Amino acid sequence: MLVREAVVSQEPPSGPAADAETSLGAQFRRHLPAYLFGAVVLAVFQLSMNRIDWKSKQAIDLIFSDHPGDAWWPAALMLLLAVVAFVTRVASRWFMFNAGRDVEYDLRRLLLSRLHKLGAAFYRTMPAGEIMSRSSGDLMQVRLLFGFGILNVVNVVFAFASALQVMLAVSLKLTLVSFVALPILVLTTRGFSRGFYLRTKATQEALGRLSEVLQTNLAGVRVVRSFALEERELVRFDVASRAYLEASLGLARLRGFMQPIMGAASAAGMLVFFWVGGSLLLKSPADGGISKGDFFAFSQALTRMAWPMIALGFSLSILQRGRASYARLKEIFDAVPEVTDGSRPRPLAPKGHVTVKALSFAYGKRVVLDAVSFDLPPGRSLAVVGRTGSGKSTLAMLLARLLPTPRESVFLDGIDVCDLPVEFVRGTVGYAQQDAFLFSTTVANNVGFSVPDPDEAAERVREAASEAHVLEEMMSLPDQLDTVVGERGVQLSGGQKQRVALARALVSEPPVLVLDDPLSAVDAKTERAILDAISRQAAKRSVLLITHRVAAAARCDRVIVLDAGRIVDSGTHDELVTRGGLYAAFAEEQRVANEMAELSLEEPSETPPPVSSVSGGASP
Amino acid sequence: MSVTPRKAPKKDSARRAEERLRAFHEEGAVEKTHDLRLLWNLYPFVRPHRWFLVLSLVTLLLLTGLRLTIPVLMGRVVERAGASDPEGILHTGLMLAATTVVVQLLAFGQVYSMQVVGARAMADLRLHVFKFLQRLELRFFDKTPVGRLVTRATNDVDALGELFASGVLNAMGDFLLLLGIVVMMLVLDWRLSLIAFAALPIVGLIVNAVRKRSRQAFRDIRTKTARLNAFLNEQVSGIAVVQAFGKEASMADEFDDINLAYRDANKRAIYYEALLDAAIEMVSTLCIASVLWWAGVHRLGAFAVSFALVVTFTQYIRQFFEPVSLLSQRYTMLQSAMSGAERIFELLSETSTEKEPTAAEAERPRSSDREEAIALEHVTFAYKAGVPVLREVTLTAKRGERIALVGATGSGKTTILGLLLRLYDVQEGVVRVLGRDVTATPRRELREQFSVVPQDVFLFAGTVLSNVAMSDASPDRKRAASALERIGALELFKRRGADAGGGPSVDAWLDARVDERGANFSAGERQLLAFARAIYRDAPILVLDEATASVDSDTEAQLQKASLAVMAGRTSLIIAHRLSTIRAADRIVVLHKGRIVEVGTHDELMRQGGVYSRLYRLQFARGTKEEAAVS
Repeated sequence: MLVREAVVSQEPPSGPAADAETSLGAQFRRHLPAYLFGAVVLAVFQLSMNRIDWKSKQAIDLIFSDHPGDAWWPAALMLLLAVVAFVTRVASRWFMFNAGRDVEYDLRRLLLSRLHKLGAAFYRTMPAGEIMSRSSGDLMQVRLLFGFGILNVVNVVFAFASALQVMLAVSLKLTLVSFVALPILVLTTRGFSRGFYLRTKATQEALGRLSEVLQTNLAGVRVVRSFALEERELVRFDVASRAYLEASLGLARLRGFMQPIMGAASAAGMLVFFWVGGSLLLKSPADGGISKGDFFAFSQALTRMAWPMIALGFSLSILQRGRASYARLKEIFDAVPEVTDGSRPRPLAPKGHVTVKALSFAYGKRVVLDAVSFDLPPGRSLAVVGRTGSGKSTLAMLLARLLPTPRESVFLDGIDVCDLPVEFVRGTVGYAQQDAFLFSTTVANNVGFSVPDPDEAAERVREAASEAHVLEEMMSLPDQLDTVVGERGVQLSGGQKQRVALARALVSEPPVLVLDDPLSAVDAKTERAILDAISRQAAKRSVLLITHRVAAAARCDRVIVLDAGRIVDSGTHDELVTRGGLYAAFAEEQRVANEMAELSLEEPSETPPPVSSVSGGASP
Repeated sequence: MSVTPRKAPKKDSARRAEERLRAFHEEGAVEKTHDLRLLWNLYPFVRPHRWFLVLSLVTLLLLTGLRLTIPVLMGRVVERAGASDPEGILHTGLMLAATTVVVQLLAFGQVYSMQVVGARAMADLRLHVFKFLQRLELRFFDKTPVGRLVTRATNDVDALGELFASGVLNAMGDFLLLLGIVVMMLVLDWRLSLIAFAALPIVGLIVNAVRKRSRQAFRDIRTKTARLNAFLNEQVSGIAVVQAFGKEASMADEFDDINLAYRDANKRAIYYEALLDAAIEMVSTLCIASVLWWAGVHRLGAFAVSFALVVTFTQYIRQFFEPVSLLSQRYTMLQSAMSGAERIFELLSETSTEKEPTAAEAERPRSSDREEAIALEHVTFAYKAGVPVLREVTLTAKRGERIALVGATGSGKTTILGLLLRLYDVQEGVVRVLGRDVTATPRRELREQFSVVPQDVFLFAGTVLSNVAMSDASPDRKRAASALERIGALELFKRRGADAGGGPSVDAWLDARVDERGANFSAGERQLLAFARAIYRDAPILVLDEATASVDSDTEAQLQKASLAVMAGRTSLIIAHRLSTIRAADRIVVLHKGRIVEVGTHDELMRQGGVYSRLYRLQFARGTKEEAAVS
């Protein structure tokens, strides 16, 4: 419950400000000029389409009159209007679809900035997969709302007015009969659009499950082979693959059905028109009939009504879905950061004096740290030793406020870290985490992560890499320090990654350096070299070294021993060894381990009796 | 908030790194010309569904023909009206209606049958890829990221499927329709046609130029989407690092670059798509206008034009531009399908598969010793050339014998297990299982001789029963229950099942749910399930890699009991961490840096005071010391 309290004790987050930027209304207002321009050009576009219909009527009527030669000028005007329609049509897309893309860009940017502010409590409740799905799928829906959705809702109004003007002027009766199919068109598209969305989602989920099956199969390839489980796996895959097949065929069926239904609906209007219009053509305009030009113009107007109607159906469900998706995005935008800036200004020159007073911390009900206190004066080094799960890493993260540090427990140069700007605390307390997370960029960019421009600091990057004893190995990579590392790249070994991460921490040269078990995956020889480097660092700054290795702890000025969240012992290395507690047990254990590692058995002849007895094992 | 200004041009080194990054993330973004013959590789997968394909293509032909008649029928309605023939209007109107309905129905059949071919052929291809992956040697997986292989069987196959789904094959229909329209127009009035076609070269040029650019835009969108998602994903998983180094702002800047590039690529695509749509619309209006113009000029001359002809022509002109725009879209699809095909068939051409023994291999001599269960003779092995993990290892176990393998991390213990199961092939030496050379036995048969209890137990999503009876298609409930009983875990799992609210039947607890990777079971419970699995499987040889994970003392005692139960009556090879297991072994084999250095019983080896005695102190003294420390 401590986490909760910590959240409450912090200042309220910048909620309203963020809200003002991210809300749907605010986004709409920001792009209002674009929408207005878009609406104006759409109006011009539909107006020119309307004029084209009239000009074609005029031309046709002239062609079949006594002065057919006069048809040239309405035809020429049609050419001109076609160009206007072209320009306005492109412009309307440009203004309105781009506005949608701008909203998407903006929300995505704000999303990352919010994610950057959120802490462990949030990431525990929302897994990475969920965040990713919201940032892609849901953001897309919102974008469709702001682009396609708005454009088509506006367009359908103008299109309707523009076409209806032509049609009504030609014949009310003809208009009424031709419109029979239009509502069907809107309703069916709306229904289909919903179906599409659901089926597409189902298809994607089926694909997700298929990938999951494949992923676990390939990741567990050793198990599958060892147990000869290929058959079983094949069944699992086949089931998932079939489900995906069925889902995609379901989508195909829907798409297949939609086409003829829409086609039939719009063709029905056309058919009725040709039928009724054809008979109206029989009569002269004076007898309530229509002219050839009327007939032609009407057919043009009717044709261009079809798409806006279809689009309206889609837009209606897009508007609905976009709002629902936005609600899911809002959960991220509205999440409350647990670590926020304190009210005091940033001090000028931090000395790096860390004081911890009765620090307790719990994840929910599980108490991880219980009244831990210690003092780390500037330029000194302190080792924190303890078994896995003793709370070492939590302690390290609390110092840098990577977790909600309780008030009145951690002090930097005498000031409560909760009163200082977060960025200042994290800049002062440099923290190198245990599981070396590298970004999939170049080695140089990873090492120079903390410097604004790694290229400016090429020398520093090299120095740090060399201090962390990793430079030589990195230089032997295909592109040296420009080699791209990370999940999909050249696979660095665990030890190499750890050393790159260590170099990354060294580059930033913070007044307080917190190293969380930087040596767990390196061999003994490298360890010694790195410890030398850390000792050199300790001469320049305060160092807190978290480790389970006694050899590393021995180099620090002081050692505290952590067990189940409490400090069970503290003192210098020598004091602790002679005192004979948990620490002394570690020391003995590791002494034996080192002995083992250094045991040289390169020449098998040195241990002749056992080997010969094994070789002879087959015959008793 | 304002958009971050684009950064000033970077220096050489930065540009170099940027290029590398781009090459890394956007590999395959370059347009390539593919060999269409690649698609022939697809035929075996299409073949079983070829009748659907034939059906679809025949329907396509019919459809094209029918579509061509519609404008003619429309013209006829008008013509009948001109001739004051109401009956003719009704008659033609009905024909028009019938044709339209038939066209729509056929269109559904055509599109759907094409989808069926595609989806089924792709499912077959996917299964083929999966089966192929199951046969690849383990070495292949050591050097290939799993993610890439998943992509082959999912995204790449889907891209190839677009060939059918988005109807690249329907392009044939488009061509036919175009040809038909041209012919029909020429037949109806060649002079009007020429005027209409005058616009064609212009359209061709526009479409080509715009499509080229929009293809590039879409390619950019694809690669930027991938980078965008990768970047965001990385920010989320590496959030602690970003925050620890206070890099939120500069990461946001970097993200902004990608986000901007993505947005701008999209805007370009919007622009080109709008341009294309609007241009085609404009050109068709231009065509109609010029036809009207010409008709007006020549109305009273030698080349009189009827209203019916004008209507028919307008319809044809409208019909004409649709396939023109579709064709170039389909070309884009074809491109990405070809890239997918290339990557898939490249994977399928990988030769390092696990092959069945050849006749010569199957003939390899059996051991003369009938009692021999496992034998390694002078085995040398390296995962990476030049870094041997095992050197000259020779080791034999008789049937029923229990051997404990002991050694520090990296001494080669696990590798020996891998060689026995032939997950890897030895570079030198011979491995025999039950007297037969492992290379002489089909792998499946070989692996069925083993019950493996791995250190990191792998549970599948399913039930307790399906996990215990893992290798059994029709699980035997009694046998599973008795396996759990033998290891003394029956009560534990019954209790668990009851907690989980199993069904009413007596052994409903066997159906208790197991989550993916056994996430809802503790480490100890997972171990117990693995032991039960081994008993259920009842293979002659037990291979046990004891877990080092710490469990509470009750569980520890239970695991001890369980491992003894599993070993009973089986040849056992154990990577031992527990003293009780080691003591129960007939022989202890000590490995050090890839060599066997000591063999003997616990007491013998302790007396020798060699590697084992030190290891013993290291691994087993801890408990007692800690107790001492606490007290």
